[in-house]
Amino acid sequence: MASHTSKAFLSLGRINVSGVGLQKSLSRATYATGVSTHTGGGNKGHPDRGGQRQGFIKKQRRTSGEPRTAKMAVDQDWMSVYPTATPFRPSAVPLPVRMGYPMKGGVPPEKMGNLELMKIPNFLHLTPVAIRKHCEALKSFCTEWPSALDTDAQCDEHFPVKVESTDYLSAAPSLRNPSARVVHLRVKLSSLNLDDHARKKMLNLVGERYCKDTDILTITAERCPLRKQNHEYAMYLLTVLYHESWKTEAWEAEKTVADMEDYSWEESPSQKNILSMLIRMKVAGEGEEEEVREQLLGRKEVQEYKNSVVRLRNEGESESTILQYKEAVKKVLNL
Amino acid sequence: MAAASLSTRSAMLLSALARSGSLCSPSGSRALHVTAVCCKNHAARVRVGKGDKPVTYDQALPPHYIGHRKGWLSQHTSNLKGEGGAAERTIEDVFIRRFMFGTFHGCLANEIVIKRRGNLLTVCALMLQRLPPMKFYFLIGYTETLLSHLYKCPVKLEIQTLQHKTVYKYL
Repeated sequence: MASHTSKAFLSLGRINVSGVGLQKSLSRATYATGVSTHTGGGNKGHPDRGGQRQGFIKKQRRTSGEPRTAKMAVDQDWMSVYPTATPFRPSAVPLPVRMGYPMKGGVPPEKMGNLELMKIPNFLHLTPVAIRKHCEALKSFCTEWPSALDTDAQCDEHFPVKVESTDYLSAAPSLRNPSARVVHLRVKLSSLNLDDHARKKMLNLVGERYCKDTDILTITAERCPLRKQNHEYAMYLLTVLYHESWKTEAWEAEKTVADMEDYSWEESPSQKNILSMLIRMKVAGEGEEEEVREQLLGRKEVQEYKNSVVRLRNEGESESTILQYKEAVKKVLNL
Repeated sequence: MAAASLSTRSAMLLSALARSGSLCSPSGSRALHVTAVCCKNHAARVRVGKGDKPVTYDQALPPHYIGHRKGWLSQHTSNLKGEGGAAERTIEDVFIRRFMFGTFHGCLANEIVIKRRGNLLTVCALMLQRLPPMKFYFLIGYTETLLSHLYKCPVKLEIQTLQHKTVYKYL
């Protein structure tokens, strides 16, 4: 009998091999024990054989005990069942979970032998009780947050320079990640001691790294291979920028109007134009050039015009600036 | 006469071959063989049969259900944006599957699930109770030690045993 069945299996195997090559590789790569529902080779005994063989097999073959779920008390310590992150064990989880797309008119497959439940990550080790116990255990290693630093403003005041770096964790045997060496250094320019010239020079030196809206200078260092080196380089850059912006070089005297960051009205074409126009309109009385100029400049309308032009040039065009300019022009030209 | 018939026969042979799409001289040198395109998807699908083929959930659902009705058999961070090492992890996965299939020959009830948590490699498998437990324990220990040494990272095996394979449907 055994030989007969084994021959049948052999023939089946041969048919499989002579068939499509794809199938063969499939069966090799997957787990398959062939297509039979036969329990398999463990049950070698046959009823035809002698009782001795049967008895021998029975002693060897143990029946599996009842699952752990049957012995669980309702108020057991769940942390001892699932202390760490482990895959789903149906015999250790006493819940009647079902997972999978149901057959038509059926229900999702049950948890015993369910591969879908094993594929997904589970959080059975993170019950609220477990988290509370973890926190309690970690409390002894923690220190209190300093009470003087309860607002963002306080933190900025005491710690104006902020250094940011990222650590990377991945599911691989290696810890190394080349992006972990990048260091960002952020500092608000208002917290640095800079006068007008120093501030303008700093902004010129720094260029793109300064954000006008938040007044934050960001220095990113990534040219060195280690994070420590990048950190030191960023601090060095900050120091150098600060000291250099305080120094005045000889060639800075050659700064032209085009280099100026802010628009200044004195000695500008706008001032010359308005003064010449007002002189031609003979608004002021007759007199020397200089006196007439001084008089005109002192006038309220001219001052308003100056403010509106400066505001328009510095802040850009918007509803309010253009309205202000219009009002000022109307007043100056007596329209 | 004989020569003429032979030549006609060879001509017919050549024309027949040409019709089938292969150009090869009768001596059998290397040539280009072209067949018609079969516009069918065959990937990871079990074809419907007479209804006597038991099939597990994983086998029954074709690959376009991955992410919808099926999960992923292998999980690691290398397939996220900006992460490297995807090829190395894939090679490791393939090797581990073949290794498990060979070591626990005939005992595997379903596909192997591989999970990576940091350095730790967890291999989850469903087994049939074909071997006595002592042999299972030995094979588990052997696999864990060998794979740990091969991949220089801790490898843990999570084995569950069943009496029979869980059948989802019969195709």
